[in-house]
Amino acid sequence: MLKINRYVKEIYNSTAFPGILIFLILIVINAIIQPGFFTYYSFKLNLFSFTPLILVSISQALVMLVGALDLSIGAAVSLLTVFMASVMGDSPLSIALALILALGAAWAMSLFNGFFISYLKLPPFLVTYASSAIWFGIALYIMPTPGGYIPRSFYKFYRSDFLGVIPIPVLILLGIGIIYFILSRLKIYKHIYAVGGKEEAAWASGIKIHATRIKAFLWSGFFVALAAICLVSETATGDARCGLGYTLNSVAAAVIGGVSFSGGKGSLAGAAVGGVILGLLINILYFANVTSFYQTFMKGIIVIGALVVGSITRMKEQTTS
Amino acid sequence: MAFSGWRRILVNRLTIIILLVFLLFLLGEIIFPGFMTLSHIMSILRLSVFLGIVALGQTLVVLSGNEGIDISVGSVVSLGVVVSAYILGGQNFKIPQALVLVPLIGFAIGLANGVGVSYLSIPPLVMTFAMGNVIEGLSLILTKGFPTGQAPPLLEVIGSGRLFGLIPYLVLLWILFSGIAVVMLRKTKWGNVLYGVGTNSLAAELSGVMVKRFRMYVYAMCGATSALAGLLLLSYTGTPYLNLGAPYIMPSIVAVAIGGTSLAGGKGGYAGTAIGCIALTTLNSILVAIQATEAIRQIVYGSLLLALITVSERRES
Repeated sequence: MLKINRYVKEIYNSTAFPGILIFLILIVINAIIQPGFFTYYSFKLNLFSFTPLILVSISQALVMLVGALDLSIGAAVSLLTVFMASVMGDSPLSIALALILALGAAWAMSLFNGFFISYLKLPPFLVTYASSAIWFGIALYIMPTPGGYIPRSFYKFYRSDFLGVIPIPVLILLGIGIIYFILSRLKIYKHIYAVGGKEEAAWASGIKIHATRIKAFLWSGFFVALAAICLVSETATGDARCGLGYTLNSVAAAVIGGVSFSGGKGSLAGAAVGGVILGLLINILYFANVTSFYQTFMKGIIVIGALVVGSITRMKEQTTS
Repeated sequence: MAFSGWRRILVNRLTIIILLVFLLFLLGEIIFPGFMTLSHIMSILRLSVFLGIVALGQTLVVLSGNEGIDISVGSVVSLGVVVSAYILGGQNFKIPQALVLVPLIGFAIGLANGVGVSYLSIPPLVMTFAMGNVIEGLSLILTKGFPTGQAPPLLEVIGSGRLFGLIPYLVLLWILFSGIAVVMLRKTKWGNVLYGVGTNSLAAELSGVMVKRFRMYVYAMCGATSALAGLLLLSYTGTPYLNLGAPYIMPSIVAVAIGGTSLAGGKGGYAGTAIGCIALTTLNSILVAIQATEAIRQIVYGSLLLALITVSERRES
């Protein structure tokens, strides 16, 4: 009995608690308003729209953990879909090439941001705001209107079921879980928290600050590439604007998940849950028949609400500790 | 102090930007003969007014420090345009009403930004980005996609008329605003406090300034100036359109950076920003004239901002 009590207390006090609570409430609301929420079909439908959001949330969390912020995530996702849709053809070779290009480009963008933020010590929000405009410009230059070509075989695969029952996104998320499990046991993971928490202390204990930050950015870039691959498989087009919404959503999701703006606090798992929460919230807008004129407004309110709830929890934490 | 005479004038930021504006005009003249005629220069100055007013609020926010920045200015300008048109409905006697209400709405939006930034410690860029989306949505809700109303004749005279057929009234208005802004920043206690808060908020707090409340009102002022820019923009276009403010977001930040205001806060002023606005508007005119697409403009502005922060923010640290 005492043991259970302790667990309950532990959960209540954790940074993820408000997230978990909201998550459960949202499941109930969604179950009420979305017809057949618990059916296999709805599950799969939701999965498709949540997967890229979960991935960018993890990506944003990685950057935030080292005390930075990436406002170029949305534009990066867009640019990658544009790259892939312009390179892909029907041959397996061209598909492989497109995927490699996506990862390479994502890493190049991470290195670009990382160079200006870590080595030149420029404020992350300004660097990534500027690079966001550059990525968006390049994407728009290549594809002024949505288009390109994504082979049928490619997106059919994404929408298919492994062994006839397990949707591919589930496999991807499972893979992410495994990567997370491995990553959390690597030295770099501890270093990321150390650098984000107290940079001087991390430096004093011999951690290479720049290298750690750059590695965090590269991991973040890996998740951005994955998000873009999932998104392009879902939409089957390259679109310079398709990812723009992810910039703010990823920040909001990370914050709901307990990741703090000052770095060093929160977890990738929390951010992933934050992504699902945000997805469920946005779902409500669609299934509650909110008129399209109200959608931009309501989505904005949801994001601000998430930021406010996140910051209030953070303050509560600071006063108790 | 180490510099004197000529050298001091040469390294002065303002001199450099004025030179930059001149070079841009020269470039324009080379590509398009007639670019440097007096009447065209006046047209460019008039186009700079809207950016200038938006960048005024932006300058205040940036000066207040704490990574201060306001991305919602674009949506607030857009809202200012459609709300002004709605209130005015083409009637002169409603101008005073609009002149009070429109900036007030902007003030309220800015206040909300300020609460998020100051009291909830949400990073300014994130907070104002989110607010920008909300306000963009608000414009959609209010207009249902089709803005109604229009500018009354008197306002259109201000928007497109010229004193002695040469100097646009809007430019005169801007000069007036700039004068007030520069005096407020340099000569008043309020200005002093703003620089103090931006340079070292802890020291300001210790000397009795309510830093959080002060910063909140700075965001509110930025909202008010942006909404006013929307009203002025309507005076120029005559009829309202959606999303007229979006193209001002990035340039307003770049103008502040060009003008020599440190994006870390506490250092700089409005004179530099104002000339920076003229430089950017000239650059934009050239880009439009050579038919550069939105894509090229995004790349140019992004690279420009990155280059500016690399040069200026690094030197300070």
